[in-house]
Amino acid sequence: MDIFLQQLINGLTVGSLYALVALGYTMVYGVMKLINFAHGDLVALSAFAGLTIYVEIFGEGKNSILLVLGVFVITALIISLVGVLLERLAYRPLRTAPRLSAVVSALGASLVIQNSIMLIWGPNMKIFPSNLFPSTVWNLSGVVFTFTQVMIMGISAILMVALYIFINKTKMGTAIRATAIDQDAAKLMGINVNKVIMTIFIIGSALGAVAGLFIGINYRGITFDMGWTYGLNAFVAAIMGGIGNIPGAMLGGILLGLFNAMISGYISSEWAETFTFVLLVVILIFRPTGILGETIAEKV
Amino acid sequence: MKRTFLKLATSIVACSALVASLNAADVIKIGVQAPITGKYANEGQSIDNGVRLIVDQYNAKGGVLGKKLEVVSCDDEGVAQKAAICARKLVNAGVLAVIGSYTSGATEAAQPTYYRNGVLQTSDGTSDSLTKHKYWTFFRNSFPNSAEAEFTANYFVNVKHYKKIAVLSDYSSYATGLADATVKALKKVNGNVIYRGKIKSGTQNFTAVLTKIKSLNPDVIYFSGYYNDGGLLRAQQIQLGIKADFVGGDSNDNPDFMKLAGDSAKGTYLINVPTPDILPYDLAKKFLKDYKAKYGMMPASIWTLLNIDGLRAVLHGVEQTKSTDTKKISNFLHTLKGFPGITGPVNFRSDGERIGGGYMAYEVQADNSYKIVYK
Repeated sequence: MDIFLQQLINGLTVGSLYALVALGYTMVYGVMKLINFAHGDLVALSAFAGLTIYVEIFGEGKNSILLVLGVFVITALIISLVGVLLERLAYRPLRTAPRLSAVVSALGASLVIQNSIMLIWGPNMKIFPSNLFPSTVWNLSGVVFTFTQVMIMGISAILMVALYIFINKTKMGTAIRATAIDQDAAKLMGINVNKVIMTIFIIGSALGAVAGLFIGINYRGITFDMGWTYGLNAFVAAIMGGIGNIPGAMLGGILLGLFNAMISGYISSEWAETFTFVLLVVILIFRPTGILGETIAEKV
Repeated sequence: MKRTFLKLATSIVACSALVASLNAADVIKIGVQAPITGKYANEGQSIDNGVRLIVDQYNAKGGVLGKKLEVVSCDDEGVAQKAAICARKLVNAGVLAVIGSYTSGATEAAQPTYYRNGVLQTSDGTSDSLTKHKYWTFFRNSFPNSAEAEFTANYFVNVKHYKKIAVLSDYSSYATGLADATVKALKKVNGNVIYRGKIKSGTQNFTAVLTKIKSLNPDVIYFSGYYNDGGLLRAQQIQLGIKADFVGGDSNDNPDFMKLAGDSAKGTYLINVPTPDILPYDLAKKFLKDYKAKYGMMPASIWTLLNIDGLRAVLHGVEQTKSTDTKKISNFLHTLKGFPGITGPVNFRSDGERIGGGYMAYEVQADNSYKIVYK
């Protein structure tokens, strides 16, 4: 039983990270019908930027809650700005172009960000200091969880609830939903579509930035190409939950993390990835738009 | 007409042979094939520096067989395609022997070219397949993965008396090869391997597989992959409260392992050939001193010293056989016994394998220094 609970915690931690990243994919897809392949690299960029801010500006060694919070806020702001720039430079000029051109542009943007990270911070692994969060470990009758894990699960949950409320209860949220359903009709209703798209890039990038910092704090080692690993998993999570659907991305991320942990724990770690993709295929066979994806009417 | 042509041809051949022998009379060329740029640049440059240092020392004493030595370097960047080009280039330059390359992959790609042209080659690559071809030109100056595997198995079963052993690797051919060889060696000495798993390098989250291992309650977790995963495995092992010892294969021996593992690094065991500074031989101390004096720093790692032993063995062969005929030198080296090397005695087997295997087990201390616990 304690092994099962331990795997549950393992899975929930990774799942929360996947969910945070998946939200960025799904929101952009929901509104623009574009897969933002550069999103994973924004996550990597956030880890590097956060490390530099912490070590170079605040000075390594000092760790108060306020300071760590400051690192999170500043990094999220920077990454949001990069996200907005990305949209302006790589996606807006192609908004009316064929879908494929935008996808190619997204892949190009991904390479540009990845190589920029490599050129600025070098190709070698960078390592986060171990004292950003207290190294407290709780052990409840064999089930172990750390302060960092609790923070990852807690903050992710809070951010996701806040996002859900924002999308469903505010005026901007309504505008985002309207734009997602029909961009032209939304425009006719007086919604500023450019502003909506800018907002989703800000929110998506900021969530990705939080995930990137958590990855750095929890796993310590960061590499310039780590965006692909996390991006791919989060992308799978987004599709699993139903791409374009916000609760779907959250569910997909958590599910992917849990499923991976359970397969590694009870079957074999070598098969975890294979089973994950089998699950994805099975879900897509029975629900082609993902678990929570709405059925889209064929446009004739 | 035909006869004139034949005469002409023979005279040209004779002429070029004469030129070649004249050239040969002046110098003996030694090739260096190493990753001088790229990912392994610090290792490659160190090997190149080391070879040049030894060659200078020989030349200061009047060379070998009265001939001066000359170094020809080629940068293969640790890449197989570039290695093949380097091999061609060095053969065309007329080298007697080649030192290199650093990686097994680049070494293997160059091997056939040296073999077909009768050029001696000595490399530090550890992949077992390097000596499988039985090329008479090839000599390994380090020790193969299988030697490390046997050392590890013996250490686990006969020294540490581990009852339950868990073995992990990543998917790289080096790490799976080393892990499989270790499992095989463990079975030979009746070691009890209760788990053999693989992790995907770079995924960073190994808690799931470690929790699985925890449920099996092993005495030791052996990891044959690289330090960037090894350090995290160790940190997450301690975090999950798994009591087992952690033993890392030679690729975990890197300062970044300690940084990633943080406080958890203490008490980790690493298995590798000795680091240059703890070699007990006078020759090693002299080499390190000379190297430091010439280049103002220490060699990158033990691999430079192993390659230098390869070079010294070849030059010893030239002196003993009093010949630059590579076949003769090769025959001599295949029976070489107890030649005093920087990294210990150099003995070669008939397939070019270096016999001996000076592996050691280290325990990482609180200040991240190493303590030798078994050799």
